[in-house]
Amino acid sequence: MNENRRQILEMLAAGRITADEAERLMGALETERTSPTGDYSSSSGATVKTRAKYLRVLVEADEATTGMKGPTTVNVRVPMQLLRAGVRLASLIPAQAHQQLDDALNKHGVPLTLSQIKPENIEELIDHLEDLTVDVNGSGGNATKVRVFCE
Amino acid sequence: MTPNFAVLGIDTPGFHWPKLWLPIFLLWVPVLLLLPIFLLVFVVLAIATRTNIGRVIAIFWGILCSLPGTHVHVSTQDARVLVRIL
Repeated sequence: MNENRRQILEMLAAGRITADEAERLMGALETERTSPTGDYSSSSGATVKTRAKYLRVLVEADEATTGMKGPTTVNVRVPMQLLRAGVRLASLIPAQAHQQLDDALNKHGVPLTLSQIKPENIEELIDHLEDLTVDVNGSGGNATKVRVFCE
Repeated sequence: MTPNFAVLGIDTPGFHWPKLWLPIFLLWVPVLLLLPIFLLVFVVLAIATRTNIGRVIAIFWGILCSLPGTHVHVSTQDARVLVRIL
């Protein structure tokens, strides 16, 4: 839990502020956290990193990999908001289909349990995705480079 | 915000077009005219599949509104495809 939030709750518990004042303070904290600049400072002055807005996927493959003439580059930028909406879309999948989907994903090497993806977990999932950076460099005759990161 | 423009660029060895700016916002006119029919279809589908129509519409609206900023660019030595949604 955030230190500022904890202090507000402690003041409320001690009766030094009313519930309305606590709500206002929490609201102010939330506004500060989601300010348009993305950066915010804690009471200790430490700066917290900017929230990522896009997921980027960059692929560079040579002709040996693709079978096409010359190198191939793929540059994809997906808004994080679209990922959030996509995860919500998964919640529309009927419960009966979850098991079949999980089995199919497992069969193809993706150990994912769709039933565990719930709207309340979306923010946590996206937050962790922001720390993700994947760099794949092919070796030998395979000169494929893949980069997945958030910006 | 809903998407307003799509930029489409296609280059192949025998085919070159300048970047096309497609005014997606103009689609709202036919969509608004056909809205009663769409809603009826949505309601029937929601009843048939026993889903909450409000939730379905909210999710699809969320996807639509989060499309701006999407950028896909694929290029090879002599071909290029670019799709941007603004």
